[in-house]
Amino acid sequence: MKLTLNWLKEFVDLRDAPEKLAETLTMAGLEVESLAPARAPDGSEDWIFELAVTPNRGDCLGVIGIAREIAALKAGRMKAPARKPAVQKANANAPVKVEIQSPRACQRYSAQAVESIRLRPSPDWLRFRLEAAGIRAINNVVDITNYVMVETAQPLHAFDLERLDAKRIVVRQAKEIATFVTLDEVERRLAPEDLLICDGDVPVALAGVMGGRDSEVHQGTTAVLLESARFDPATVRRTAKRLGLHSEASHRFERGVDPEGTVAALERAVALLQEIAGGNTFGGIIDRYPRPPAPAAIAVRHARVSEIVGVDIKPAEIEKNLKALGCKVQATKAALKVTPPTYRGDLTREADLIEELARVHGYDKIPSTLPRALLSGKPDARLRADRGVRSYLVGEGLVEAIHLPFTSADINRRFPGLLAGEKPVAILNPLVQESAEMRLSLVPGLIEDLKVNLAQRAEGFAAFALNKVFYLDTKDEPAERYHLAALLYGRRGRRGLRAEEAPFGFLDAKGLVEGILDGRGGEWSWNAADPPAFLHPGRAARLAAGRAELGYVGEIHPDLAEELSLGRCLTFELDFGKLLQYLSPELAVRSLPRFPSVERDLAMVVDDAFPAQRIIDWIKDLRNVLIEKVEVFDQYRGASIPEGKKSLAFSISYRAQDRTLTDTEVQTVHQELVARLGEVFGAQLRG
Amino acid sequence: MNESLERLKEEVAGRLSRSVSEAEVEQLRVEYLGRKGTVTGLLRGLKDVAPEERPQRGEELNRLRAFIEERIAGCLESLKAEKRSKALTEERVDITLPGSRRERGRVHPLTMVVDEIVDVFSAMGFEIARGPDIEDDYHNFEALNMPKDHPARDMQDTFFVAAERLLRTHTSPVQIHVMESRKPPLQIIVPGAVYRHDDDATHSPMFHQVEGFMVDRGIAFTDLKGVLTHVLRQIFSADARVRFRPSFFPFTEPSAEVDIGCVICDGKGALRDSHACRVCKGTGWLEILGSGMIDPEVFRFVGYDAEKFSGFAFGMGVERIAMLKYGVEDIRLFFQNDLRFLRQFPSF
Repeated sequence: MKLTLNWLKEFVDLRDAPEKLAETLTMAGLEVESLAPARAPDGSEDWIFELAVTPNRGDCLGVIGIAREIAALKAGRMKAPARKPAVQKANANAPVKVEIQSPRACQRYSAQAVESIRLRPSPDWLRFRLEAAGIRAINNVVDITNYVMVETAQPLHAFDLERLDAKRIVVRQAKEIATFVTLDEVERRLAPEDLLICDGDVPVALAGVMGGRDSEVHQGTTAVLLESARFDPATVRRTAKRLGLHSEASHRFERGVDPEGTVAALERAVALLQEIAGGNTFGGIIDRYPRPPAPAAIAVRHARVSEIVGVDIKPAEIEKNLKALGCKVQATKAALKVTPPTYRGDLTREADLIEELARVHGYDKIPSTLPRALLSGKPDARLRADRGVRSYLVGEGLVEAIHLPFTSADINRRFPGLLAGEKPVAILNPLVQESAEMRLSLVPGLIEDLKVNLAQRAEGFAAFALNKVFYLDTKDEPAERYHLAALLYGRRGRRGLRAEEAPFGFLDAKGLVEGILDGRGGEWSWNAADPPAFLHPGRAARLAAGRAELGYVGEIHPDLAEELSLGRCLTFELDFGKLLQYLSPELAVRSLPRFPSVERDLAMVVDDAFPAQRIIDWIKDLRNVLIEKVEVFDQYRGASIPEGKKSLAFSISYRAQDRTLTDTEVQTVHQELVARLGEVFGAQLRG
Repeated sequence: MNESLERLKEEVAGRLSRSVSEAEVEQLRVEYLGRKGTVTGLLRGLKDVAPEERPQRGEELNRLRAFIEERIAGCLESLKAEKRSKALTEERVDITLPGSRRERGRVHPLTMVVDEIVDVFSAMGFEIARGPDIEDDYHNFEALNMPKDHPARDMQDTFFVAAERLLRTHTSPVQIHVMESRKPPLQIIVPGAVYRHDDDATHSPMFHQVEGFMVDRGIAFTDLKGVLTHVLRQIFSADARVRFRPSFFPFTEPSAEVDIGCVICDGKGALRDSHACRVCKGTGWLEILGSGMIDPEVFRFVGYDAEKFSGFAFGMGVERIAMLKYGVEDIRLFFQNDLRFLRQFPSF
């Protein structure tokens, strides 16, 4: 809402300078967004105010409403309204009949015919104020309707009277009328519940939204019918929103205009038409007002005001301030009976009036207190886990990334996340088609980041994301999961003198996941079978806890990497929410062993495809009490190893709980183990 | 001591003082004190000395031997010290060379800000609650007193995924979820992502909020002021100026917009070069959060007795706070994950 200071001064004697007034308005909830000096066409000094009017204050979408607000805030005094001629009611000469067929959608319809109009550009002062209000000047008739709208918050519309053939205004729902050409010459598709102003059977305006092409004021117009109505806010809003027709008028109707204000606005417009366009009224004011609302009194309890605001606002101040806001106040024993003015349709409950009281009292005059302590807070396990895993990955050199969750159907098809076949959530009104779905996986976002950083000549890239992914559940309902994913590329970053770091490989990605699971108990298993299609089939594994799938780790499939113009990338993605359920919450520390352990190594030559874990599992399955730990520590292919084979080296740690093992004891057990391994796996044992 | 022993003593002392290595000293030790050494020979020859001279000769020779042993030990020690001191000089490192380490990662700056806000509230006894990003119309709008066709919905342009399902436009629906399942007293904060159909340098279609609310008997607007003033002073600075001004949110009444004195121009509205401050647009104030007393209508939706309970709610934009705290001018930087941006933040 923009207006000039001098316009405001026609209605209120201001106490303060413009800057002080702006401060007062801002601190009362009418935020002044800008204030700029201007010079009116007559050379006088003026100021242009731009106010942010909240949706509940339709009354402040007019200069008069703001003047009233200033008076209520005691920053000025309303001027006495100019004495107006008595309203001339519609008489037999009224050229038009008005019928409201939808009284729920149109509470009041007032109209006045004006003839002998000379259409021409508006005078400079009017153009200046209109343009200061952000409205383009067109001709005196249209400008006057807009001027009065900005002044009174009541939108007006002018029909060319001669183009209303039937001379019978009917306010009705569109129903069977399917299309309508608005004054911007666009044919609009109507919904049956759109409210139309018709001339007989012919639509001439979309009520409160836009007039029609065929009844518009034009060069040859000499007589108009001025419309000043109160349309139902929701009806106007639905139509305006559906057709994308947001206008100064619809904006005001949506916020509710004063049903008691239609006639006053007409009178103001008529006065201006007479003054500026030489028009004459005829036939009196036609006014259809089927069911004037009965003003309901609201009980305002002094105790409740104090309870909500927290300070004792005295009954006398309550009464005085409510009256200043235009309310009628009647004191009863229990409460004040308050009837708000008709232009304040937002005041319907005690809570609304308490807000008004706090506002007029001044928020800055309300003290600060701290509530008595509630000691029922609990620490948050998820927050702890999030912080823990972040700190771990950051220590490992990974940077946290945050992405918009939107992606394309194509990306979702290539990166379907943890469980193949899950359906993505589609957005009905995406900003662009490339972001028409919600991500199924966090990995594509990380790949995008990698590309951004490679374009900036980053040498390596290691990042993670901890965030939600979205999918349709088995009932096709949108659902969410909390994932942790990472992407590794190139070499690990180093600081200091140059030193060689091996490029990231599968085991680095797997190692990061193992680091998360380390010391957490639980039964984890890695499975190479059936990896996701976007991973290298020979360099991928799924992580499970029992039968629960927790995620995958692997190398991005070389075909895909090539398509994305990337080199080798390693990734993992975990269902972090589910993983947390499988992490053992309890820790039990074993006491330290009293006797030393003895280490023995062994190396076996096996087929290249033979998994090391099989040997470890087999040894563990022996359940030999002396075998404390088995680990693989080397894998070797090369000179001394036949083609298609590899050598695996294991270290076995022997220990007894009750004594120090002797060399011979260990030797016997170890020899036997080596012999049996040879038999069972047909493996050639080395060293 | 006779002259020949005296000479011998001087000779040994002289040779030792000229020796430059441990090996040389060892050689001298063998030459004089070894099995076939000069002094050993002299001692062995004592038996040929006249008995009356023998004690004195013996004592002289023993003293000579002790002298030589002592000199050898001293000599070895100073050689060792010399060697160590040489080594210490040679082993000196250039401490201006950079330390050697693996590059550390970074926590995202938005995470840092959320963590900080969460910590401030946690210290005051607030609990964390969370809710789905994909909400239904009822929780996102209806129960927050924003019926269909309410113009307040214009303030929050919405992404839809189905007729009644949408990406939450604020974290406030979590208020409804929590109040539907729990009874007061409640003091809750809700960090999370929210979505608006909007995209430019200051608006991202996704951004983050921290929502909070407190409900109990006798919670008043003065408490809202007290708690939020305290919180903002923790987040910004202990002497931050805080102001509350009336505003409108459908789910709070009275509603208040909360501003802090501009962190860029120090609340003056103008920079040192007297140009208007761009960040606060010359007003000296920055809008930092929205708040208010929970509307009785919201309590009605969740089945609370508004005559018995009252409370306040508030919401703040994480990106906005991060932009102000760190002087970030384009919100999109937060979501591009450019290492050159992220690495400007500390690693813990």
